[in-house]
Amino acid sequence: MSENVHALIGAYAVDAVTPAERDEFESHLGACEDCAVELAGLQEATAVLAEAEASAPPATLKARVMADIARTPQAAPPTRDDRDAAGPMPAEGASAASATAASSRRRLWPRLTLAAASVAVLAVGGLVGSSLVQQRQEELALEKDVMMVTSAPDAHSMDLGLGAAHLVMSDKMSSVVAMGEDCPEPEAGMEYQLWVVMADGSKHAGPTFAPEPDGSFMTMMEMDMEGATAFVVTEEPMGGSEQPTTDMVAVVEL
Amino acid sequence: MRGDGMSAQRRERGLRAVPGGSDAVGAPASRPGQDAARLADLLVRSGRGDAAAFEELYDALAGTVHGLAHRIVRDPHLAEDVAQEALVEVWRVAARYRPDQGSARAWVMTIAHRRAVDRVRSEQSHADRLLTHGARHSGEVEHPEQVVDTMDAQWRAARVRRGLAALTPLQREALELTYYKGYTNRQLAESLGIPLGTAKARIRDAMIRLRDGWEVAR
Repeated sequence: MSENVHALIGAYAVDAVTPAERDEFESHLGACEDCAVELAGLQEATAVLAEAEASAPPATLKARVMADIARTPQAAPPTRDDRDAAGPMPAEGASAASATAASSRRRLWPRLTLAAASVAVLAVGGLVGSSLVQQRQEELALEKDVMMVTSAPDAHSMDLGLGAAHLVMSDKMSSVVAMGEDCPEPEAGMEYQLWVVMADGSKHAGPTFAPEPDGSFMTMMEMDMEGATAFVVTEEPMGGSEQPTTDMVAVVEL
Repeated sequence: MRGDGMSAQRRERGLRAVPGGSDAVGAPASRPGQDAARLADLLVRSGRGDAAAFEELYDALAGTVHGLAHRIVRDPHLAEDVAQEALVEVWRVAARYRPDQGSARAWVMTIAHRRAVDRVRSEQSHADRLLTHGARHSGEVEHPEQVVDTMDAQWRAARVRRGLAALTPLQREALELTYYKGYTNRQLAESLGIPLGTAKARIRDAMIRLRDGWEVAR
């Protein structure tokens, strides 16, 4: 019986249930923390589906809604006892991370410009001392930006000799992305750093990065491509350097 | 020209932050509805009767509520009615929202989707509607001032497309018929000629794959 109710979770998340099934599942929810947690995740996913449908509402809608709420009494908050049965969201156990993760994808990274230089560098990534939620946000924001670059109409890809890796450049997006797999671990206490080499030989510091435990990595730099002649990767002490301090481990000539 | 300006902004993935990192520099002004914590706060305040908070919430979410309703019920007038009902319902039961349960956006969209699906099912012509409306609606002409961020919208659409593309054709079909067209799991099973358990599992597998692909909360 319980097994059957549990199996309804996907259907419940997309409202593919009859009123009786809905009631049955909701009463099950209060007693099943696993279901509550899983449902919360599925509902965040359905919210993503919904967002893709966003369109400008008719101008009249707002006036109608605001007028309506002015004469609509509100339900009182539920007490602990009725929470289990209340509302479309699960009663217990949903991760607080879901709230922030859901919108973090919409965050835009700030754009930087260096007045004196033609190169603006924006490295994106995790934060020390930040919560997992924030880190997750950073990663999602990075993934978003990476996707914008790699899907740009003028994006082009070049091999980067660092495991199975490549650089993707887009003039239109003024960005370059380095990503790949099977990236070797840097020396202890070191991490990789990306540099852009200009026509005059000067090198500008880009983001530092290190592979994940599975060898994958992804980093991105925002810059004006004008005058860039190469991208170089070196190993640098943790935190990166102002100028390269070691020989390059990978290079891409433009 | 080198060094200081850039190094202050440097961050790398997964390890550390430079104090005063790039968030503080040149960040775009925050736009309505961009921030989950802000939406949660607005919804909580709405639940306490704060109409101004609700109005801000409206500005952030009404476009999605309306678009979703339009996609599901098809008819523009009906869509507006459904969106109105859903948004007023949000106001009515806002006090039940608890931020630790999930995002305000997901909570609102759950209400909106349910309202739209219930309306579709109650329509007399439901059966015909299901058979005759295959194509996605073309959307309304958006007012320029309401297109807050085209890039953002494009990215959202691309993200959804990519997520849906990662599903199997059978999973996509299951979501198309349920989430977008309002079939119950039993209707799905019968229309596809598959066992009920298979239908339930297919919907669930599809949603799990989307969730994992999008890396929203689990």
